Amino acid sequence: MAKTLMIVDDSATMRKIIMRTVRMSGLEFDTIEEAGNGVEALEKLNASPVDIVLCDINMPEMTGPEMVKKAREMSSCDNTKIVMVSTESAQETIDGVMADGANGFITKPFTPENFQEKLMPFMN
Amino acid sequence: MIEQICFNDVFTDSAKEIFETMIFMDLMQADDPNQQIEGDAVLGSITFKGDLEGCLAFCCGKDCAQTITMNMLGIDSVDEISDEDTCDAIGEVCNMIMGCVKRRLHDTYSNIELSIPLVVNGRQLKNTLGEGAQEVMEKVIIEDEYPTELSLLYREKSN
Ligand SMILES: [Mg+2]
Repeated sequence: MAKTLMIVDDSATMRKIIMRTVRMSGLEFDTIEEAGNGVEALEKLNASPVDIVLCDINMPEMTGPEMVKKAREMSSCDNTKIVMVSTESAQETIDGVMADGANGFITKPFTPENFQEKLMPFMN
Repeated sequence: MIEQICFNDVFTDSAKEIFETMIFMDLMQADDPNQQIEGDAVLGSITFKGDLEGCLAFCCGKDCAQTITMNMLGIDSVDEISDEDTCDAIGEVCNMIMGCVKRRLHDTYSNIELSIPLVVNGRQLKNTLGEGAQEVMEKVIIEDEYPTELSLLYREKSN
């Protein structure tokens, strides 16, 4: 079963880089959606949920951690895995967002192998 | 109080790491300390607050900014990118470099909060931060071709 993915990042450049890196990782997705901040992502997830969300932390309008909390209150996201992708790497930040309902964390700079390793468990 | 020399290393190493791993371009300390950016320039900056407050800026020529953007997007022709793309890319460069700086300073300054990056176009652009700020200024060269300035202005949180 092919999976669906959403990339949430305020930088369009970073969304492209993530998309390219995901492709290079060999993981295959049916569709890849994009959103520029947490608010836009939640609207899209509410209308049509995806299997995996890759989510930035530092974004205007609504940050990644705020988005995770809100998504975890939405029944449409019950089965959605949320993996944070950020230059943030302080253990407190990672622990905090994982406690709020994120399912993984990838730090920038990243490699295709990082995506392979962190997303593979959610592909089945 | 951390020695200035330490900040220089943290800053340059962070920029090198990002350019090597995410942009696939070579960034080195400039041989000529008086190198200047000629013509149109792009300056990206990101501010931070918390245990340490200040502003990080990355300034390069427009041609360099376009090359960085093309590399990040995996595009071959400059005609395919807009000024908006370039601003977005340079903003993200600042965000990533500052993220690396933050990671490297974490043991000393555990609480540093980053802003959303800001990018401007112009000539002879300069990063400033009022009184009492320390400045680390690094002149670097990208791909042996583009003179670039990295500046980090900071002060410790005053209690
Ligand atoms: Mg961001």
